[in-house]
Order: sequence, then structure tokens, then C-alpha cells
Amino acid sequence: MKPTLNWQIASIANIKPETPNVKTFTLKLPSWMRHRAGQHYDIRLTAEDGYQAQRSYSIASEPEREGEVDITVERLDDGEVSSYLHDVVTQGDRIEVRGPIGGYFVWDADRTDPLLLIAGGSGVVPLMSMIRHRAAAEAKNPTSLLYSSRSFEDVIYYDELDRLSKSNAGLQIFHTLTRSQPADWKGYARRIDEAMLREVAGPLGSSAQVFICGPTLMVESAANALVKIGIDANRIRTERFGPTGG
Amino acid sequence: MDETTDINRELMLDANATAGLLYEIFGAEMTASPTECAHCGREGEIGTLLAFTQGPGIVLRCSGCENVVIRIVQTPDAIYLDARGAVYLKLARTG
Repeated sequence: MKPTLNWQIASIANIKPETPNVKTFTLKLPSWMRHRAGQHYDIRLTAEDGYQAQRSYSIASEPEREGEVDITVERLDDGEVSSYLHDVVTQGDRIEVRGPIGGYFVWDADRTDPLLLIAGGSGVVPLMSMIRHRAAAEAKNPTSLLYSSRSFEDVIYYDELDRLSKSNAGLQIFHTLTRSQPADWKGYARRIDEAMLREVAGPLGSSAQVFICGPTLMVESAANALVKIGIDANRIRTERFGPTGG
Repeated sequence: MDETTDINRELMLDANATAGLLYEIFGAEMTASPTECAHCGREGEIGTLLAFTQGPGIVLRCSGCENVVIRIVQTPDAIYLDARGAVYLKLARTG
């Protein structure tokens, strides 16, 4: 049967704070369908007067998990949907969703070429789904994540990324903190630039498949710099999420 | 792009962000499906198009020449699709 994309009512099975501005919501889905790492769900809120607001949120969890998905959401001050999710929704609430959606910004673990993931702020979410998928599928392809955050407390999934990089062959995590750094910080401490990309991407070679997700201007500058250091533009897939974020 | 459109540059998304709406219109996942820009002849997946979603309608532009490829306007009872900037759109047959 051809899968259809209908709105369904998900229930919030769990809410987990990740950082001061970011929470992970576990959606229990009556019509669950296995997603591909990198896909998203649309969430639609309807007010009593019929006014609707709709946003897309990337799936954070791995496709191997059945019956539910995690979405990780950053609270934006002017975000109608994100502020509702953060400030109003509690465990057990029901919200209208459709998905999984998207076939372009996706990665499947049967790909064996090196993987370069570049994230700005909550742009790490779809890339985390890829990293969790890679771990669940026990893939061994060389993989590096370069992840830019404003400060240490804004880093999402820090402990899990640390753990996965120690237990997963071929996975390397590089952090950069652009605004403030702890006293003993050993990672990068500036915006993503050409020199940083050379250091991170170099060992993966020019055949790496690249996924970049983050604020629009950060994605633009990272993609342009990668082309300058010799990566084929056709191997770079981007997901820009607008002006906000780290 | 001229300066007036440049104001929107920070708000620019990828066509991936419109995957749900495209699914609604075509009844299929479209972002991995190819298209060709009628202005410059660039071929690529719909997901490679640039999406401008803050206006009353949605505009998808070519990531090569930045001309308009697809425009979508939604009203309460209809969806208007203007795809004259695309030489073709491809819909896979499903069993």
C-alpha cells in the first residue's frame, strides 16, 4: 500500500530539557511509520477561532526506534509554535502532526562513503538522528561532526555525543564555542571558517558526503568554504532554518 | 539578486522546508525528485531549490541563477501552483 501523509494526533510521552532553551519531546504516534535520518515532522496548532500555525521540526531519534519519535525544539522568543511547545505543553498532551517528511536531506547507514556533518545551534538535530542511526546500524564509515554553539551550556546532546565518539569506531566530534568558553576549553573558539573546515574535512577526503544544518548565513558560509577547499558542490546537502540560532 | 530581494536572504530556507506542502499538492515526496530551471537549464533535485516562505505565497528559486522556478499560493479553498520556471517536474509512478 502506498504510504500516505495524513495529519494524526500524537501524544507527548516525555519532555526532556536539553539546554536552557532547548527541549526534546517524545511523540507517540498512532500511525507510526519508519523515518529516514534527516526527515522532519510538521506540527500544526489550531486556535479556538480557527487560526492555524504550522512549523517543521527535525526528528532527533534514530529510525530503528519504533512507535515514537523524538523532536528537539529550540524556544524562539517570537516563535508561536516553539513557545507553545516549551511553555504550555505537558506530558500526556495531544498535538496534531504529519510525517515523516522529506527525501533530500537524508542519510541511510548503508552508505559507506565518509560522512561530514556540520551543525550550527539546533541544526544539530537532524544530524543527531544520522549519528544515532549510524550507531544503531553499527556502520563503520569515517564520520565527523563539526558543531558550533554559542556557549558550553547551549551545546545539545554533549554527553551522548561524547559517549558515542568513544564507543563508535570512526566517529569524531569537534565542538566550537563562538561567544564564551569554559576556562579549560580545548575545542575551537570561533565561528566556523575555512581553516577549521580544512582541519576537520581534510582527513575524510574529497569523496565525503556533507550535510550542513543551521542558521541560513552560517550554512551559506560553511558551504561556500567547503567548495573553496575542493569539495564538489553536488556532495553538499544543506538545510537552512532561517535567521535564528547559534 | 537585487537589494530588495537580498533583505530576505537571512530568511531563505531550502525547498526541503516545503516538503509537506509539496506532498499535499502532488501526493508524493517531491524533494528528492529532479527538475530543470527554465531560465538557466540547471538540473537538480527540488530539495536544492531555495525557498522563500515568509511572504503571502511560497517562492522556490533556482540555486544556480536565483530566478523563480515555482510559486505556490494557498487560499482557504484552493492551492494555486505556478511552475512556469520549471522545464519539467517528475512524479514517480507508484505500484
